[in-house]
Amino acid sequence: MANVLDLRRRIRSVKNTRQITKAMKMVSAAKLRRAQERALSARPYARMIASVIESLRRRVDLYDEQTGNLSHPLFLTRPERRVLLIVISGDKGFAGAFNANILKIAYQFIQGNPDKEIDIEAVGRKGRDQLRRRYPTAGYTEQTDEHGATRSVRNPRQGKVELTGDHPGLLAHLDPKLIEEIALNIVSRYVHEEIDAAYIVYNEFKSVISQRLVVEKLLPLIEAGTPQIAGVVEPTSEEKERVAEAALSAGIELEAADTTEAEEEAKRFGTASVDYIYEQPAQELFAGLLPQYVFSVIFHAMTESVAAEHAARMTAMDSATNNASDMIDSLTLHMNRVRQAAITKEIIEIVSGAAAL
Amino acid sequence: MAEATSDQLRVRLVTPERILFEADASAVELPSKTGYMEVLYGHAPLMAELGAGDVTIHQVADAAQAGKPTRYNVSWGFVEVLPNRVTILASDALKPGEIDLPRAEQQLDRGLNLWKQAGESVEAYDEALRVISEAEAKIASAGEADTSH
Repeated sequence: MANVLDLRRRIRSVKNTRQITKAMKMVSAAKLRRAQERALSARPYARMIASVIESLRRRVDLYDEQTGNLSHPLFLTRPERRVLLIVISGDKGFAGAFNANILKIAYQFIQGNPDKEIDIEAVGRKGRDQLRRRYPTAGYTEQTDEHGATRSVRNPRQGKVELTGDHPGLLAHLDPKLIEEIALNIVSRYVHEEIDAAYIVYNEFKSVISQRLVVEKLLPLIEAGTPQIAGVVEPTSEEKERVAEAALSAGIELEAADTTEAEEEAKRFGTASVDYIYEQPAQELFAGLLPQYVFSVIFHAMTESVAAEHAARMTAMDSATNNASDMIDSLTLHMNRVRQAAITKEIIEIVSGAAAL
Repeated sequence: MAEATSDQLRVRLVTPERILFEADASAVELPSKTGYMEVLYGHAPLMAELGAGDVTIHQVADAAQAGKPTRYNVSWGFVEVLPNRVTILASDALKPGEIDLPRAEQQLDRGLNLWKQAGESVEAYDEALRVISEAEAKIASAGEADTSH
């Protein structure tokens, strides 16, 4: 049986751990607050792009008069043979099941489409590391064509599923420029028929207690302006309670600030029921807006995912702190018992020794 | 005089990250893709795509602020003009003082290189043009900021 000294040492070590988890929780709470603000302030732009597209859609003839085809390549639907999957996970661990859940959804998606070739674009270090271990990375070779220009050509596939790109460290700063590059890259891959559809897997974050895992269809744009959710996993009510508890103890408001007014305002962008003068032909405007829309969907997904990651870490660290406290309590109780037992034993020894005299 | 004060445009400059600027103004100059234009109160409803250049917001004709327009260097975006409201959606917006001049010059070099390497591809030319005009607008706007001080 452990003696008093051993127990005291263990209690001290658990106390140190508790201090660390508590600090991490507070740091995550502060970061969550900032991420939440950022996600909120990014909403007007996304909302405006979406509503202007919606209103332009009603005015612009989507179908070419002569050919009867859809006039923009991003609307073309093809049979899905090659699919791009963007997986947004976190850059760091210690966030409970956050990264594992994202990956679980991604694997489910891959297993649910066994006959398709899937390209994965991994955002976030944790998800990338996992996926890279599981699937081969796409290879490219430089080729020179007859004009002397070099271009990289993709090597034959090594498997049904391949990793085509990763963007570790992107989430720390969320630079719109870099994300725009990614969006334009995806758009050009779609236009050049390298992919037939694009999906994005991320953790949606409406407020601290309202989040869910979402698989959203990015391309083709069938209903531009409204999100096309392909799959959703809601957290259990137990999980929600845990998050709420953690948020309360860290001093974070459960419901995000009320932005309905601003949202309404943003929704009106470009939708006034007047005849606009179009500086450029409406078709052209529309074509320029679509890639921006794709960008705003990706940007939105990333800001939400970052907020969700911090919320998950905060919850995980709150649980860890509580567990450490429980452990300290039970160890202290145990230590006191052992000490008491030792004292009692000594007294009995003395008393029985005295009685024997 | 209530009439006079209501003859103001509500100007909002929105970037993907946040609402950068929101205030009343008497006039706004915009870099549309096909050239600069100025919007005053009561302008007909208009939608336009923005190119790279400076958005100049002439603020309320307040004695203290008159003649001190607010300038932002924007690159790419869209604008909606309504008689009393101007909403600018910019992909990127910077104050002239925030422009990183060496970087803009690098960008210009990169654009010129792209231009040379574009070959026959129309897409590559467009891309090069985009990079060049963005860099040139940045350099011009940063230059103006220097001279105005």
